[in-house]
Amino acid sequence: MSTKVTINRLATGVPGLDEVLGGGLPEFSFNLIAGPPGCGKTTLAHQMMFALATPERPALFFTVLGEPPLKMLRYQQQFDFFDSDAINQSIRYINLADDTLAGDLDEVLRRIVSEVETHSPGLVFVDSFRSVVLASQTQNNPNNNLPQFVQQLGMLMTTWQATTFLIGEYFSETDANPIFTVADGLIWLRQSVQRNSMVRKMEIMKMRGQPTLPGLHTFRIAASGIKVFAPAPLNPVEAPLEFPIRRLQTGVPQLDDMLGGGLPRGYSLLVAGPSGSGKSILAATFLAEGARNGETGVIAVFEQRPNHSQNATLTGLIQSGQVGLVDSRAPDLSIDEIVQLLLSEITRLGATRVVIDSLSGFELALAPTFREDFRESLSRMVTALTSLGVSVLLTSELEDRYTDLRFSPYGTAFLTDAIIVQRYIEVQSRLLRIMAVVKVRASAHSDELRLYSIDDNGLQIGGRLPDQEGLLGGRPTRRRVDHDDA
Amino acid sequence: MSTLREEGRQIVASLAHRAGSNADRASIAQAIVSTLQEMDAALMPIIGQQGVVALYRRSLHLCASTHPRLAGTYDGLQAGMDLNALKSVLLEQSEADALFFGEALLTTFYGLLTTLIGPSLTARLLRGVWEPSLSDTSSQEHSP
Repeated sequence: MSTKVTINRLATGVPGLDEVLGGGLPEFSFNLIAGPPGCGKTTLAHQMMFALATPERPALFFTVLGEPPLKMLRYQQQFDFFDSDAINQSIRYINLADDTLAGDLDEVLRRIVSEVETHSPGLVFVDSFRSVVLASQTQNNPNNNLPQFVQQLGMLMTTWQATTFLIGEYFSETDANPIFTVADGLIWLRQSVQRNSMVRKMEIMKMRGQPTLPGLHTFRIAASGIKVFAPAPLNPVEAPLEFPIRRLQTGVPQLDDMLGGGLPRGYSLLVAGPSGSGKSILAATFLAEGARNGETGVIAVFEQRPNHSQNATLTGLIQSGQVGLVDSRAPDLSIDEIVQLLLSEITRLGATRVVIDSLSGFELALAPTFREDFRESLSRMVTALTSLGVSVLLTSELEDRYTDLRFSPYGTAFLTDAIIVQRYIEVQSRLLRIMAVVKVRASAHSDELRLYSIDDNGLQIGGRLPDQEGLLGGRPTRRRVDHDDA
Repeated sequence: MSTLREEGRQIVASLAHRAGSNADRASIAQAIVSTLQEMDAALMPIIGQQGVVALYRRSLHLCASTHPRLAGTYDGLQAGMDLNALKSVLLEQSEADALFFGEALLTTFYGLLTTLIGPSLTARLLRGVWEPSLSDTSSQEHSP
């Protein structure tokens, strides 16, 4: 009878980190938190320590030659997670500066081991481990015993059932470093600077025995501490399309007809058109129609002055709580942060209709470092939202280009299930608007170019212009009656 | 700052308690020095020897500038945290002066630490020093 060892996973207390780690932190693991100065290593360590330390599972925090402990205590107190009552109870700080200055790694190891034996901690932190390494290298003996030291430390800490974190300043992950080899977990923190925008990113380069989420994950440091934006979990089994397709009414009856009876539920709809063509009005109507049927919605606005661009209907819906507003004007947003804001609002309200107004503003709100991957980001957002079963309406600013027929400036038209295009045309010295349904996946839809106008009641869809042709060129001409055909 | 005044009263009371009633110079000096030793023992493991020395030197300096009559005493204490030197300086004072100096020094030390790491953490770290009656927990807290 053999059973596998069960590794307990500790909840780190850092929002989003457990997801990124693949289900929490393995108990008794030996980890390295690495990164350049100022990237949040000490803060991350403290936040986990205050969340995890209990009188039964106390923490030892060894301060070496890094940040002076007095200052560390001063600054870490600014975070909400810092609890003075835990100090000298479940959390104990131990200063090893003098031992490290001597440069004798054996002595440092002896001190750490003796403290660990005295207090029997469940958690051990060494900050900064880099200075231990540097001190050992200044010895006259160039053959420093660092690999042996790290190996012994790792073995001893695990044997003493302590989950251990070494905190160190490292600039390059490609350095051949014995610590990287011995460590069970490598949490790498980075600050990515592009122009005058800064984005904090975290990467789990290694976590033995864990299905970690690969890649760089953005995080923020706020008064509450670190918050990691883990990518939204994707539902691997998407619900199959139901037949007959259940459809949502958009609030514009003629448009529902053009869509083949409304927007199929769970679809994403791109509304592309030039400035002033009524995209936001259509979006508001879409949400209002939902509210009229007892549904709730969420709108994400990415405009500089959201209060000014909102129409009265939408403001009313937001005030009555039928529509949740995601209006993050935090600088340097990442896609995962936005998706998380949207998802939490959707969950809170049980929303079924979501509006992103607009993709152009959304692109501007993203940190420059993410703009190169805008298409991928958009694809992930649309997938994350539609996999929840909500119906999404995205608006997209479309420059009038009469020479070609384009639906979105990002080459993103294929991402959405349905597309509506709006255009200006010139007829008899007047600027008229036309609209067409370009695509509704797996559904019949109208192929008409219909005139429409905007009044106090929203979009009013009119008829076709059968006697005009070349509408998409913007300057239609009266169709000439061919006498030969007669 | 009212809590700090409260701590000040505790420090004064604790010092008087240590020195005993009708204290002579020797027991006053011993009470001050032993209090500092306990503060050192409580703080040194956390902020390191140099951290404690720096706090002590700064406290002496602040005391001397707040109370000009202590300036002479301060001048007698050069560099480092030599508690024997402090003791011999205290022994040269009258009982009242030595007690005043001790109270000022300890209160200033406490206040200085408060400005750096806040009142609750300061109280937390030095609790054992002012509460000798809780000797069980304090002895534990002083182990390095």
